[in-house]
Amino acid sequence: MRKTAGLAWTGMIALSVIVSGCSSNSGNSNTNEVSGNTVNNTSTNTANNTVQNEPEKHDPVTLKYTFWGSPNEKKVQEAAIKSFTEKYPWIKVNTLHIPDAYTTKLTTMASSNQMPDIGLLNGDVALEWASQGRIYNILDFLNNDPDVSVNDILPNTMYYWDEGKLAGVNGALEAFALFYNKDAFTDAGLPLPPTKADEAYTWDQFVETAQKLTLDQKGHNALDPDFDPKAIKQFGVTMPLWAYMNGVVSNGGQFINEDGTEFKLSDPEAAEAIQQWADLINKYHVAPSPTQSKNLPSGATALQSRKVAMTMDGQWSLVDLGAASKKLNFGVGVAPVMKNKATMTLGEPIVIFKDTKHPEEAWMLYKWMMNPENTLELQTSGLWMPVLKKWYENEDLVSKWAAGNPAHPDGYQDAVMRNAFDNGFPNTSYYVKNLSKINSIIDPALEQVWLGKATAEEALAKIKPQVEKELKGVYTER
Amino acid sequence: MISGRKLWNKEARAGVLFASPVIAGYLIFVLGPMIASFIFSLSEYNVISPLKFIGFSNYTNLIDGTDPLFYKSLGVTAYYVILSVPLQILLAFMVALLLNHPIKGKTFFRTIFYMPTIVPAVASSMIWLWLFDPDLGLLNQLLKVFGISGLQWIYSENLAVPSLVLMSLWTIGGTMVIFLAGLQGIPRHLYESVEVDGGNWLHKLFFITIPLMTPTIFFNLVMGFIGSFQVFGQAYIMTQGGPNNATLFYSYYLYREAFEFSSMGSASAIAWVLFIVILGLTMMVFKTSALWVYSESEGKR
Repeated sequence: MRKTAGLAWTGMIALSVIVSGCSSNSGNSNTNEVSGNTVNNTSTNTANNTVQNEPEKHDPVTLKYTFWGSPNEKKVQEAAIKSFTEKYPWIKVNTLHIPDAYTTKLTTMASSNQMPDIGLLNGDVALEWASQGRIYNILDFLNNDPDVSVNDILPNTMYYWDEGKLAGVNGALEAFALFYNKDAFTDAGLPLPPTKADEAYTWDQFVETAQKLTLDQKGHNALDPDFDPKAIKQFGVTMPLWAYMNGVVSNGGQFINEDGTEFKLSDPEAAEAIQQWADLINKYHVAPSPTQSKNLPSGATALQSRKVAMTMDGQWSLVDLGAASKKLNFGVGVAPVMKNKATMTLGEPIVIFKDTKHPEEAWMLYKWMMNPENTLELQTSGLWMPVLKKWYENEDLVSKWAAGNPAHPDGYQDAVMRNAFDNGFPNTSYYVKNLSKINSIIDPALEQVWLGKATAEEALAKIKPQVEKELKGVYTER
Repeated sequence: MISGRKLWNKEARAGVLFASPVIAGYLIFVLGPMIASFIFSLSEYNVISPLKFIGFSNYTNLIDGTDPLFYKSLGVTAYYVILSVPLQILLAFMVALLLNHPIKGKTFFRTIFYMPTIVPAVASSMIWLWLFDPDLGLLNQLLKVFGISGLQWIYSENLAVPSLVLMSLWTIGGTMVIFLAGLQGIPRHLYESVEVDGGNWLHKLFFITIPLMTPTIFFNLVMGFIGSFQVFGQAYIMTQGGPNNATLFYSYYLYREAFEFSSMGSASAIAWVLFIVILGLTMMVFKTSALWVYSESEGKR
């Protein structure tokens, strides 16, 4: 008995020596590599791959990158990472695609100390994890980097968990716009929707257009006295109801006040906007109810099959629209305006986890993924918008992604790109603390509004005290 | 004497050795996690930051209504249990009675009724999503024939739980098979004695079948209680707890707390409350069982 215990002890001591030896060793080589890499980095950026061949000492490094996304996103991201490893052959990247229950999976990985080095993370989760000290401050890398500075990046793609503390920059920017089937407009004898934010539909014009585009089985539109709302063949418009902040901000409302102590969605401007969205469903019968939308095909197919004439949706739907463009004559318009020009911008950040032993290499990969040059297929296909400002401002760069392909028809640059750049406002996940809990109170209440069982004012006033109990403030004031 | 003790020791050792996989499994996969979850339940823990002990406040938050959804989900689950367990048992018992008769195609019907039990929960949820669809679903199409239209099924706050109960009646195959086995264990001579006494089928049912089936009914009742209290899949796949938390079943509420809000502490407390509730109810059923469950070994009582 004593013998085995002794053996175990020696074994453990030996093990701990090995482990600590390893970690300190890798720690050292890490810091050595840092200077080497940045130098190497700049040189390769200017002088291209040929310089790469000169013998430079690098210990092999393996990174783990986790992400989610459609099969297409997976393919393009993996291709981008492959070209990264070709350029920096001593870095090996293991990619782990987690299509479902991403946060749950990462939480499990965190509990068993198998965290990735770098990866996508939902914005609100990223902010929470960052404030718990599990994520690197990206500004620490940006401030020391010769290639990119924080001023090169669109503000609406950055998740700050505190002043000067950046948890991550989005993989992509997304914004909302109007997508429509041109034939539906021609058949109804309507002019095509405007693309410039200054000429956008007012809400009344928008409702009227939607009414003219909503047809029942007998072909009456929603303005016709004979219109039968129980037998609608073509809906005027659909919109993702979770994106109601588009209406709220456009109507001058807010989610919470600046310091996050007061729930503002129940205020008149916000409630009015939400009611106007609900009226599209229950009063004007131009948009499908939540249950009806379950039977509708998704974006591109709905437009193509003329179940829907317009969709007010995120610009990512362009990837499907572009793919269907041979059979679908679609156009892009600017989202309607209630009082102010506004389009919600969103996206999920890429973060570098504190668990990584190779932060510098992780940053190199980070930078690589930030550059649309390396992921161009995701941008040209319409799924992603770049996060770097120059890709919106420099005409040559703009034409590389936002023109000359089926996913970016005429009008795109005004209706989506410029509108997002000029009038984009951040989604709530960029600043509200305890958001998932708060949403779990708001969503059931709004469900009642969309179903026409309660007015927005009633439903939101009722949950105000509950929500305010869960308000924990904001990460940074907006 | 000495040799006897030795023998016992040897046998005991062998016994423990052979049982060790089960014992180890129980310790590692049941008892260990239970202890861990009890410790979690006394703390604030979100996996990514260190555990912080906060005493019993996770429990008091539930009991005093700080978390407004606790009583809601408990109520919803109780509603589901009270509605589904008796209906399931009644229906399964009736089907078992029918299938116990020497009718043509008996095995065929037994297979048919058992089949839905084999269908994975996700697949059957998808099927019922279609059936329940208010516009295109088969149920509403059928009801239209009778002039009833526009039922919203799982999309309506009032009908959501009854709809899911209806769906649960589809998978009574397991319960039915246990009843069938019980029915076949009833000695024929008891029925014959009823016939001799001039009794009809109703007498057979009430004086022979049901009393002799009480142990099986009891077993199915306990299993039904435990199973229904833990209903999860339908809420997770079909309704996401909606509309307006009408199907926020307890297990789904627990899951959300743990994996959507990452509060392992309060989720563990929720789990322990469920454990106590189920334990209490099962004990209650056991206590009342002396009043109505027939047990051969106990003889007259």
